[in-house]
Amino acid sequence: MTITLAIDTSTSRTSVAIIDQGALLWHGYRDGATSHGHALPAMVEQALAVAPRIEQVVVGMGPGPYTGLRVGIAFARTFAVARKIPVIGICSLDAIAALVHERDDFLIATDARRKEVYWAKYRSGVRVEGPDVDLPSVVADFGLPIFGEGAVKYSIAFSDENQFPDLVAMVAISEDTDLQVDEPLYIRRPDAVPTTERAL
Amino acid sequence: MKTEPLVLGIETSCDETAIGIVRGRRLLANVIASSVEEHALFGGVVPEIASRAHLESMLIILDTALKESKICLNDIDAVAVTAGPGLVGALLVGVASATGLALGLGKPLYGVNHLAAHVSVDLLTHEAPVESTIALLVSGGHSSLLQVDDITSSVVKLGESMDDAAGEAFDKIARVMGLGFPGGPAIDREAKLGNAKAIDFPRGLTQSRDWLTRPFDFSFSGLKTAVARYLEATPTYARADVAASFQEAIVDVLLLKALAACKQTGIDTLVIAGGVAANSRLRQLAQERAAVAKVRLRIPPAGLCTDNGAMVAALGSLMVAAGRAPSHIDVEADSSLPVTTVSLP
Ligand SMILES: [Zn+2]
Repeated sequence: MTITLAIDTSTSRTSVAIIDQGALLWHGYRDGATSHGHALPAMVEQALAVAPRIEQVVVGMGPGPYTGLRVGIAFARTFAVARKIPVIGICSLDAIAALVHERDDFLIATDARRKEVYWAKYRSGVRVEGPDVDLPSVVADFGLPIFGEGAVKYSIAFSDENQFPDLVAMVAISEDTDLQVDEPLYIRRPDAVPTTERAL
Repeated sequence: MKTEPLVLGIETSCDETAIGIVRGRRLLANVIASSVEEHALFGGVVPEIASRAHLESMLIILDTALKESKICLNDIDAVAVTAGPGLVGALLVGVASATGLALGLGKPLYGVNHLAAHVSVDLLTHEAPVESTIALLVSGGHSSLLQVDDITSSVVKLGESMDDAAGEAFDKIARVMGLGFPGGPAIDREAKLGNAKAIDFPRGLTQSRDWLTRPFDFSFSGLKTAVARYLEATPTYARADVAASFQEAIVDVLLLKALAACKQTGIDTLVIAGGVAANSRLRQLAQERAAVAKVRLRIPPAGLCTDNGAMVAALGSLMVAAGRAPSHIDVEADSSLPVTTVSLP
């Protein structure tokens, strides 16, 4: 097994852990939808003080609000290059679904801003549909139990448990090459509206 | 003697993803990926497209820069990154990439000012700035006159544009004339075919009263309106003449004020920096007038005037050499970082 630095910034929570054989050597999180850039390096610095030798990085590739999501991925990639170690991405929704102990179908929904949610459907813990983005009402119409930060925010949640990705689960999922993701899961195309601000 | 600092600089404030590597005053690599062609379709920079492109290009650029410089990543002394000003989502990709590198390598991080970096790129092509200089910083988002006593710690703003930045005026006029985006290079090319004296466009803030109240500020909105009116009133206008006359009006004012700043402060060195410093007419007229005014003129080569990573690395290298404290690892990007803040704590 490998000592893994795990990072997720796909929700309003910035999560960092160092995991060895499923055991947490260090973990921490900070909440705040705009504080990923600030929280992530501070936590990694603390984590490295406890466990300096890292053998791989696993990072949540979203879907999630773009700016925070990119902070985690950009950081994970250059950190891995600096250490000459691999970086593996996975779908962040899978790392929430892993916490859910439902035998029947269920949904994970996270906040996608603009009054929409990112969602995916799971059967026996395996993703069978999504990730995709829709209005909360559309997702609620599936008539299935829904978990995740977005479900709670839009009051369509089955319970307020299991809102955020679990990093131990994320590392376990990353061992399945079929579930690895190389590029950020944006789902939406970029809004093609030029800024009024200019190059400096 | 201690070897000169080896610094890697990352720049992502707008639509260029760029990494430069310098050793002291020597440029070892300068690699740029631009998403400008994607933005040109929309007639301006689309922030989300720029941010996605930064993330996509970062590792490719890093790899190319390391190969070009023939250095080993572990050998660098510090990582420098543009922390502002700029588009916040774009800045965050660069800052997160830089913090990942710095923490991965265990090297210090310098979150620096993009505008100060524009000025410090001069050090890669000229002797190190020893004493005070006046800096004319002209780009798409900025037109400022600065007094730089020490680029690592002391930048004083003498004046700035009250409305459009010089580069913004170029973009807008290029658009109404159908010359495309970005406007600076397009107008520069067109103007070469025209007569700069054909039309006498207004020079903003150059009345005698302005020299008393706003000697070092700029205004280009009157010029912009005058050009638009002229185009409307003259359906058969000669495009090259309009481009040349418009460009002449901007360049004239920029240099009048920059040289006036030299005279008033008694500082005899002028650095011209920023994307608009790539304009060929500005470079030519600056040479002529600086010679007459006996001012030592320094303009980086055109390729180093537009946004690049070498300028960020250059400022980082100066910070290290001057013994300035690095930034905290959780340094936050500041989209409206003032030009007087050279680096973030
Ligand atoms: Zn710039």
